[in-house]
Amino acid sequence: MSPLAKSALLTVARKELLDLFRDRRTVMLGLLMGPILFPVLILGIGSMAEKRARTQLESTLELPVIGAAYSPNLVRHLESQNMKILPAPKDPDARVRDQTHDVMLRIAPDFGTDWRESRSAGVELIYDSSRQDSQIPVQRVRGAIEQYSGQLGVLRIINRGVSPEVTQPVRVAQRDVATPEAKRGMLLAFLPYLLILSSFLGGAYLVIDVTAGERERQSLEPLLATPAARAAIMSGKILAACAFGMLSLLLILVAFKISFTVAPGALRLVDVSLPVLAQLLLVLLPMVLIGTTLLTLISASVKSVKEAQSYMSLLMLLPIIPTVMLMVNPVKNQLWQFVVPFLAQNQMILKLVRSEAITSNEWAAYLGAGFGLGLLLWLLAARLYHREKLAISA
Amino acid sequence: MIEVHNLHKSFKAKSGTVHAVRGVSFEARDGEITGLLGPNGAGKTTTLRMLYTLMAPDEGSVRVDGLDIQRDATAVRKQLGVLPDARGVYKRLTARENIAYFGRLHGLDEATIAERTARMAQTLGMDFLDRRTEGFSQGQRTKTAIARALVHDPRNVILDEPTNGLDVMTTRGLRSFLQQLRSEGRCVIFSSHIMQEVAALCDRIVVIAEGEVKAAGTPAELRAQTGEDNLEDAFVKAIGSEEGLHA
Repeated sequence: MSPLAKSALLTVARKELLDLFRDRRTVMLGLLMGPILFPVLILGIGSMAEKRARTQLESTLELPVIGAAYSPNLVRHLESQNMKILPAPKDPDARVRDQTHDVMLRIAPDFGTDWRESRSAGVELIYDSSRQDSQIPVQRVRGAIEQYSGQLGVLRIINRGVSPEVTQPVRVAQRDVATPEAKRGMLLAFLPYLLILSSFLGGAYLVIDVTAGERERQSLEPLLATPAARAAIMSGKILAACAFGMLSLLLILVAFKISFTVAPGALRLVDVSLPVLAQLLLVLLPMVLIGTTLLTLISASVKSVKEAQSYMSLLMLLPIIPTVMLMVNPVKNQLWQFVVPFLAQNQMILKLVRSEAITSNEWAAYLGAGFGLGLLLWLLAARLYHREKLAISA
Repeated sequence: MIEVHNLHKSFKAKSGTVHAVRGVSFEARDGEITGLLGPNGAGKTTTLRMLYTLMAPDEGSVRVDGLDIQRDATAVRKQLGVLPDARGVYKRLTARENIAYFGRLHGLDEATIAERTARMAQTLGMDFLDRRTEGFSQGQRTKTAIARALVHDPRNVILDEPTNGLDVMTTRGLRSFLQQLRSEGRCVIFSSHIMQEVAALCDRIVVIAEGEVKAAGTPAELRAQTGEDNLEDAFVKAIGSEEGLHA
């Protein structure tokens, strides 16, 4: 690049930033909305879910029992497990369906007979599996009954002089290999989306304003009549928008760091050390570049700011697509995922917040693909910037 | 010195191809003011846009101080000071910052920019240099745009309808400014649809209508060519209608 083009690029970038920062209100909204809103969202939802689970696990569970008289011992056992036994309502199925109760227990009338003859005595749990809210109560009741059943089974076997292990040909032990970091990552499921969206479209209004807006304000024509190369002018505008985008991301990440250190529960342990923040910024840099060049491309090809803005709702959906696809059709971590835009960012951010190692191959594929796409869009936008129609408004 | 030879330009519109400029040729000499006179929609702005390399001609050529606009576009833009039809200024920057921005894009150093800005402010009567241009009057905006266009001290000056929307006093000031540019030996082209203005100022007049040069020459030559004593009648005869005569 010639010194003149470089100085034009820097001149344009500096002017655009000066122009933008004089627009105090826009800058405040652009820079502070994300850092204030996102932590509130994540922390709020995280602590809400945690609080709910805790209350459901620890509070006294109200359990209507049909036929409580058929097994007073079982009922007493349930009562000892922090449950309050209620008398059976009329039409139990309907009461569960209309969410008056999360779960009910029915003890069969021949429970006593079966019990005495050492046959399996029947009980029935009534619940609605489509309601997420009932999961924990159902698990609690089932666990309590299985515990009761297991204890008495062992007693019966021992009574007959047999080792209880005879009845357990296979013993299943569970080992959950999720690291504590990964479990925290689950709490952060939508952190990647917020970060990708902010980097992709964070500076959108600025990008649209400096091309489509400048044309509407009739100052693009005199600008393009100067000897500065069009590619240099465009690159200066892209540089300014990228700098602004990175600044707003930095503020968002700092806000996350602060809020995670004061957060309750598991979120407090999320790794927001400076190296991780630096890596997150590096991961998001290609996304900022892709978003800026794509919007520049759009702004240079449309007739008005309004037309450019009407692409926004479509662009906002793009970052969700890979996340949704992965949810519906989960695939294992593979190298190709690190070159697909949006999906790649998603994977990288998840790995970083889950404290998983990222191989140098993955870094190379990721950065190569990200910056490659940015460069391609830059070239396309530069071509559009050379069109005659670009400068002419009205 | 600007030599224009047989320019053609057409646009595709919904209603079909519009042949906006059809074979325009003229010459604008140094130390003279050349006026492009013609009704609205005659093709003046399109012609000028080709002169300052914003549009490429379909046919024909333009040489600015001997440089071809298509081969040496960047060099040509350095030789030109342009006040386009679109003259938006950046409203969150002061007039001085607007001028300095263009000075830097022309590769000038800060000292030169400061010196030129001060000189231009004096000539144009700009006592509003350090105010943001938001809320400027039309005249203040035009002065800022002219100062910005001429900050690099170009040999050739192109102004598209510079007096549009200006009051009488500002117009008079602008006229004497153009005369000063002429006395400095520059080549000045300006377009207008107002005959009186062109008559008062120009050494040479190029009458354009329907994308063609209908007549060209000094005011005396125009009168002789059309056989009319009065320039207004000569103009009407040249373009073949009274359209655009009245401002």
